[in-house]
Amino acid sequence: MATKSAEQITIDLLRPLSGISGRWVFAVAVLAGVVVAALSAFFYQVYAGLGVSGLRTPVFWGFYITNFVFWIGLSHAGTLISAILRLANATWRRPVTRCAEVITVFALSIGATFPIIHLGRPWLAFFLFPYPSERGIWPNIRSPLLWDFFAINTYLISSVTFLLLPMVPDFALVRDRAEGVKKKIYGVLALGWTGTPKEWHRLETAMHIMAIAVIPVAVSVHSIVSWDFAMAPVPMWHSTIFAPYFVAGAIFSGIAALILAMALLRKFLHLEEYLLPIHFENLGKLLLVMSLLWFYFVFAERLTTWYGNESSEMTVFWTTQHGSYSPLFWTMVFCNFLIPFPFLAIKKLRTITGTAIASFTVVIGMWLERFLIIVPSLSHKYLTYSWGTYRPTWVEITITAGTFCAMALLYMIFSKVVPIISIWELKAGQHLKTQAVRLVVKSSEAGAD
Amino acid sequence: MGHQWGMAIDLDRCTGCEACVVACHAENNISTVGEDQAALSRAKHWIRVERYYEGEFPDVTVKFMPVFCQQCDAAPCEPVCPTFASYHTSEGLNGQVYNRCIGTRYCANACPYVVRYFNFYNPVWDKPLHLQLNPDVSVREVGVMEKCTFCVQRIKAGEVQAEAEKRELKDGEIQPACVQSCPTRAMVFGDLSDPESEVSRLARSGRSTKLLGELGTRPKVNYLPRDSWHGNEIG
Amino acid sequence: MPSPPVIYGLFADPESADRGMNALHRAEIKPKKIVVMSAEPFDDYSFAKMDHHTPMPWIAAAGGVVGGTCGYLLARLTQVAYPINTGGMPIVAAWPTGIVTYELTMLGAVITTIVTLLITTRLPNWKSKLYDEEVSNGKILIGVLDPSDAARAEIENRLRGAGAVKVKATNPHH
Repeated sequence: MATKSAEQITIDLLRPLSGISGRWVFAVAVLAGVVVAALSAFFYQVYAGLGVSGLRTPVFWGFYITNFVFWIGLSHAGTLISAILRLANATWRRPVTRCAEVITVFALSIGATFPIIHLGRPWLAFFLFPYPSERGIWPNIRSPLLWDFFAINTYLISSVTFLLLPMVPDFALVRDRAEGVKKKIYGVLALGWTGTPKEWHRLETAMHIMAIAVIPVAVSVHSIVSWDFAMAPVPMWHSTIFAPYFVAGAIFSGIAALILAMALLRKFLHLEEYLLPIHFENLGKLLLVMSLLWFYFVFAERLTTWYGNESSEMTVFWTTQHGSYSPLFWTMVFCNFLIPFPFLAIKKLRTITGTAIASFTVVIGMWLERFLIIVPSLSHKYLTYSWGTYRPTWVEITITAGTFCAMALLYMIFSKVVPIISIWELKAGQHLKTQAVRLVVKSSEAGAD
Repeated sequence: MGHQWGMAIDLDRCTGCEACVVACHAENNISTVGEDQAALSRAKHWIRVERYYEGEFPDVTVKFMPVFCQQCDAAPCEPVCPTFASYHTSEGLNGQVYNRCIGTRYCANACPYVVRYFNFYNPVWDKPLHLQLNPDVSVREVGVMEKCTFCVQRIKAGEVQAEAEKRELKDGEIQPACVQSCPTRAMVFGDLSDPESEVSRLARSGRSTKLLGELGTRPKVNYLPRDSWHGNEIG
Repeated sequence: MPSPPVIYGLFADPESADRGMNALHRAEIKPKKIVVMSAEPFDDYSFAKMDHHTPMPWIAAAGGVVGGTCGYLLARLTQVAYPINTGGMPIVAAWPTGIVTYELTMLGAVITTIVTLLITTRLPNWKSKLYDEEVSNGKILIGVLDPSDAARAEIENRLRGAGAVKVKATNPHH
């Protein structure tokens, strides 16, 4: 990347914050409309009862839990990529970290609404909170749902702060260039940041500690979410592979979401000089690795199931392989592996467009994967008389569409209010590069003497 | 050790008449859900008669058995409930505390017998059926899980009566609604901790087997299948 | 609190800022009175190597221990307070207690880190203080707080000599 002056970087990356176009307003209006529809569907469900959804005996979890797992999984993008790349000191990460951390925070927030949306009596959701109730009873720590409560809240707090802390110097930057009310608002957000070495050093130390802390948290979160299924004696749920399978799947869907977000940002915010083909290449390679890993897990799980030939498990196995869920299953395999593979493995195809296409299919495929983990197993439990089906209603479909639109909406608003690329980190990377070049020149000059 | 309630079902006597299903609805204030909801398999039959057909006409055999909450000693529905709505009582029953239930439905997913039912809507009794509601049993609102309780209200009533009369409970004195209504007396209810009770006797019989016992749930219902059913297999 | 009296130079690049810092050191200005500000961290330059000692990692670890203890106590005491048999599992089950302990350990470490950050940097602090908006234009500010009247001229010369683009001073009788 051609070294840019600090001033140029500031101008380019602050440009999205000034002014909104008619196109943006229209897009936001449409997205907000769908979100409002989703909220209305939810309130209707609270009013009328969960009967308005497609849930039934024995499939008591359907679209809502699919969305829950999907969005929590997607949230592993940012913090994991951002944290891991920070610790590995991968210099190409600098324009990517905030895009990724934003995905994490918003996806996690969206995912965390579903434990409330899917409740039979959501107005009593506070029963999950450990507080000294007058009944003297506390929540049941033995339940994986309680582990969810602690894990998701820990992850949410960690990733929100991991996002907000490095935003403070950039808020200071906006504050200094703004006027009037805007200056006041960003002044408050900047916390009075002046940029002394002490502030910088403390900030970087804090970010380093949090990068180390957030990785085991992220791994634990999706392991715990997977244990919502693995702890129950349901055919093809009660398996030890669930925790690593889910964590790998989460990282997989997260990287795909990140690539998609970056591709869209690059196009609509004109960040062609900052989100470069090399970023998409590198992330594309990571996505390829995760795609192979995903395939490995699916293969290992299905081989052991098939070889073990336990009758209840085989029922679920065949219903996804050949039976009524097979169209979805094979679509998933196509979307997660067969279509992305050429786009990611062949260097010529591993372009921005190529990786974006692969990422799009992966997002679809991973949503289908969550659905196919939940519903076929619940439909075919041990007593054949109790087998059932599931079909979502408009309520579940609207709420699902609402979450995707909410994600896009939040992202669009965020990128207009905060620089989506961390300006100070980019500048720091630039001068580290020029410093390195200078040292190389110096040492070669010294060697020449 | 206190009472450990259990049941024995003699499948040789069961005719599949479903009187138990109707009696359970009447005793426990279980509403019917209507034709459309039943088609969506949302009916709340705490006890249901499962039917399995084998063979081609005219050589068809039908196996049927009543399935209801097995009050498992190692119930998978209990540890997963985040609010302790599903818990184990000291008398060996799986209790469902409606007031604690927030409707996560995890218990229903964990139950291998699929004997837990959810109130997808508020229950409705068309007049004049509302006059028939049992005052000893609560009415569950929308969003709450429910299931067979071994008619715990009758158990409690029997225990209270025996205590008031300062005597022990007699075997067969407490009968859940299904047991009481069974015309062939296929269902027996009693105290498994009393080796002389009828249910203990039947549990010791060579025909006695547990439904999905291999899952380790330690259910309290002993099924005595017909010998003609390939030995002691059921289902 | 009005900003304290100060003389500072604005440097266009880190090399000249280094020279400016060295010039101030040679003038035997006390390090406590030297103030530096920049729009990006310059960890590899000597002028920015001040105030780098922090026990933050240890404090974060201590916060983790506190969090973990809280998690263990929460899990244990709440289960013992109203012991309910579920599925034959122990009242205080080891693995779930471990999971809750672990999560609250990580949460403790994270929250402690943030609190330590805010306390040691004394942020948020929205009161008016020493700052120059040129800093966010990429200039590096190096200055001397509360300079004695006699030294003012010398400091200004040294800063200019090191390559300061601009030298500003605030009136001591503000």
